[in-house]
Amino acid sequence: MEAEFNLTSEINNDCLVLKTDGYVNNYGGEQISNEFNKHFKNGIKKVVISLAKSKVVNSIGISFMIEIIEQLNEVNGKLYFTDMDSSIEKTLTIMGLFSYAGKASTIDEAIKSLN
Amino acid sequence: MENNVKLKMTLPDIPDIELVAVEGLDKMARHLGISDEKIGEARILVTEAIINAIEHSGKEKMEVDVEFTMTKEKLVIFVRDYGQGFKPESVEEPDILKKMGTENKRGWGLKIMKSMSDDFLIESNENGTKITLIKNLV
Repeated sequence: MEAEFNLTSEINNDCLVLKTDGYVNNYGGEQISNEFNKHFKNGIKKVVISLAKSKVVNSIGISFMIEIIEQLNEVNGKLYFTDMDSSIEKTLTIMGLFSYAGKASTIDEAIKSLN
Repeated sequence: MENNVKLKMTLPDIPDIELVAVEGLDKMARHLGISDEKIGEARILVTEAIINAIEHSGKEKMEVDVEFTMTKEKLVIFVRDYGQGFKPESVEEPDILKKMGTENKRGWGLKIMKSMSDDFLIESNENGTKITLIKNLV
């Protein structure tokens, strides 16, 4: 049983918006990281990751987000997480991600905070 | 039977097999009317315990025994691997600040299990590792 994972991306008000769908495991984390890197090379510094359609994550998948935060910190950029299930928000809190990344209820709210 | 449901399985080492256990857990929890919030946290615990067993067993091919015992009030998760074991006390607690600037961003499983469960027990020796997690569901 291999999990399906899909990722969509769009640029909205100078922000890269990534929407995950499915299990954020090693593969999912890597997909997010690869998509981010494509845009980061082109100067994107504001990123939103919506986890609305991800009900399960694991710490290996989330570890890739630390790498994204690290890269954004170097250019004074910022990452926001949105639409999180409470257990996922708790996981990210335990890992300390919100010391460096923001959180918002919706994508629009995150974009507003980033601009 | 209504008050105490059990599920036992032996998982082979194949990609994303932890989702089979998560699906079983979901079914049990829905049957007992457990809240979405508690189910979500139980999912994370199960996922971390199983991937920890698979990732750190130190064997090329292995199996993981998983057992859930659930009532409306409490979930007991038992995960056992037959790998080479490790010394839990020698595992350094991860810190995001220390992880930044280093290659290894992983190693969060034990911290998440300790923080999200209500009780956590790990026993490990050269014959494998047993993790017992207790999660209050009310």
